[in-house]
Amino acid sequence: MSKQKIMFSPVTRLSGLLSVEVIVEQGRVVEANASGTMFRGYEWIMRNRHVTDAVYLTQRVCGICSLAHGAMASYLLDELYANELSENAQFLRNVMYGADFLQNHIRHFYLFSLPDFVRMPDYPPYHGQNLTDARLGPIDNQRLVDNYFEAIKAAQRSHEILALFGGKAPHQHSFVHGGVAVAPTADKINRALALLDSIHEFVKTCLIPDTELIARVYDDYFKIGLTFGRLLSFGLFKFGPHNEQLLWRGGVLNDGRLTAPRLDLIKEDVTSSWYAVQAVPGADDWGVEPAPQKPGAYTWIKSVRYAGQHYETGPLARMIINGFYNGGTSTMDRIYARSLETMLITELMREWLLKLQPGPAPLKQNPEPVKSEVVVTTDAMRGALLHSARIVDEQVERYNIITPTVWNFSPKDQHGRGPVESALVGTSIPKLDMLSTILGRIVRSYDPCISCATHVMDAEGNKQDKIVF
Amino acid sequence: MQQQEFIELCRELALVDDHALTRVILPVIKEHLTRSNQNKLPVIWVETNDSGDNNIAFMNTTFPYLGQVFSEMIDLLYSNTFMAAQGVDALMVLEQTAVLYKGRFTLVVEGAVPVKDNGIYNIIARTENRNITALDAVSRLGKLAQYVVANGTCASFGGPTAARPNLSGSVGVRDVLDREVINVSGCPTNPDWFVGTLAHLLLYGRPELDNLGRPTLFYGFTVHRHCQRRSYFDRDDFAEKLGDIECMFSQGCVGPRTSADCPYRQWINYVNWPVRANTPCIGCTNEDFPDGSTPFFTPLPEKSGQAATPGGAQTSPGVQITVGEGRNE
Repeated sequence: MSKQKIMFSPVTRLSGLLSVEVIVEQGRVVEANASGTMFRGYEWIMRNRHVTDAVYLTQRVCGICSLAHGAMASYLLDELYANELSENAQFLRNVMYGADFLQNHIRHFYLFSLPDFVRMPDYPPYHGQNLTDARLGPIDNQRLVDNYFEAIKAAQRSHEILALFGGKAPHQHSFVHGGVAVAPTADKINRALALLDSIHEFVKTCLIPDTELIARVYDDYFKIGLTFGRLLSFGLFKFGPHNEQLLWRGGVLNDGRLTAPRLDLIKEDVTSSWYAVQAVPGADDWGVEPAPQKPGAYTWIKSVRYAGQHYETGPLARMIINGFYNGGTSTMDRIYARSLETMLITELMREWLLKLQPGPAPLKQNPEPVKSEVVVTTDAMRGALLHSARIVDEQVERYNIITPTVWNFSPKDQHGRGPVESALVGTSIPKLDMLSTILGRIVRSYDPCISCATHVMDAEGNKQDKIVF
Repeated sequence: MQQQEFIELCRELALVDDHALTRVILPVIKEHLTRSNQNKLPVIWVETNDSGDNNIAFMNTTFPYLGQVFSEMIDLLYSNTFMAAQGVDALMVLEQTAVLYKGRFTLVVEGAVPVKDNGIYNIIARTENRNITALDAVSRLGKLAQYVVANGTCASFGGPTAARPNLSGSVGVRDVLDREVINVSGCPTNPDWFVGTLAHLLLYGRPELDNLGRPTLFYGFTVHRHCQRRSYFDRDDFAEKLGDIECMFSQGCVGPRTSADCPYRQWINYVNWPVRANTPCIGCTNEDFPDGSTPFFTPLPEKSGQAATPGGAQTSPGVQITVGEGRNE
């Protein structure tokens, strides 16, 4: 087979718009360019607004992980305003955070990923599936299709827990700075427990066995879509009066060595991204503006590195760093770790709901900010998430967001390829008609969210190297 | 295929023992089945510049659940979010169904449409030699569709995607199409508003629309009018902070100028809505959302660019029905 350039577009069944161009030579992917093809620009939208708007406005960054952005903005405001969080507030916040994780992970596995492995019914939106490597027998296949439709209900119930406390979903209202605006009353706790029980049952009897079945039947995917094994997590589920405790620790895992993440080692780059960097006269830092015609660029996603290297982030990183999973960094490891995490979260949420004390809304907001610059980190569904802000008189001067998909879908820079492109390069394509099926499996194992990832950063590589501003 | 042609084919091939009849008839039947399913609404859904929250909200529909919507209500012919097909197969499905269902499909657009630099800020799909921008896709499909439904505030009016400074020049679908657009606004849309609008199209045709092109069925009254806390407002009993049980007007609520039925419909299996969650309505169905609603926690008369008082004057053009409902109503 000679050298062929092939466009895999649109990559459907994910949040946002993604195209992947690959070069295939002698049955192997030798180059891959993953392009986020939508420009959003929330960091610009956040400027010159009251900083407390961030809780609701940054949720609009993302539809499938909206609570994560609202939570990050709340943590950011907690620190800016020196709020003190009650224990009840933290339990309630984490119940809500967990509920959005369940929603995300269940939908990702069944609605987005499953049609990569299972023959779907022959009516829209499943027509024209063209699954060139279907391996399940008819009985197993039908069971998983049935579970796809059950998953719709389990994910809906996850959002029902979130809405019960949060008012609505996506873009909940009550998880704000200082705590939660809704009173955890006995009836709500009880209803949430009942909803959670049914979700837990679904995860235990469907999601876990279905994941195990797919992992067994498609076990070659434990060797396909491998990354370099560098993993990053900012930790998950904040507790303590100042959000200072993490239930699941964060970490930087490189060559078997685990260290604590250092924010000063994070650096963004726009070499292959549709942005132009311009020196702003008289300013300490650099201005960045969209440049859709920039030669050599191929994506709206910027690249991000930790200590000069690309890192993979997501449920797999969290599970390995916390010692819950002991596997590799392949397509199937990513899928497996996400399902495992779903199970763990249903158990944690039950614990938190039982620890909640019925009482008034656990909310206390201090009126005045005590700081003017804050950087906060934690994990969202897809991995490491960072929000940072600089304010003047409570007005946002700078706001920056580095989403998990930016880590995973980093385009090439002088330090090489990012995780997804690395995972794609080297992949064997036995027959060209299998290309979409194989690439689709690898790409979706990262649970890409392009709506999240395509933002303008405010500045890059300024003189102080304070990249997060 | 006409009836006579069908009968002749059957006669001609009936005695041939090599399944020739089956081979000729099957594709025709398949085409017939896909073309004439009058019981389902054919839908082509294009995602443009958005957060994807409206497709997530759509997944939260109950009775019908999403699976029932697909099996009983709509033929979702193209959707970046849900379709099993991918890559060039998906693009072929889009091109073929748009022609096959010309004049009969409903175009759903989720997201705003960037128009700056010929729309290069949003590319819905690429081929080896060209980019299909959201602007191309919406313009072309909008001409072929029977109905156009803008799902969400971004698609309806620009929404958060077009919030200042709007670097991509994003606009609502109505600004790129020279035809009627049914605006189902909301950030996100309540699944009942969206599924209900599709149901109306399927069962009764075009719904009655308000002056912003929204079905009056869902947007006919303000949040304020039906708010459970209206009695607090009428007694000037305002919340001192978020989390209180009194009227949220003091906390920035824009319910008085927001058309939506949230107070009685509520969200996610009808369990809650923002004011019941002791927080303000932020007016996410409005033409000027979010810029007209920020700062979110500042009372309406003091918001940037707002001149309204409770029950007072008009705040911005195009929201005639949303204001003017004061305490005397």
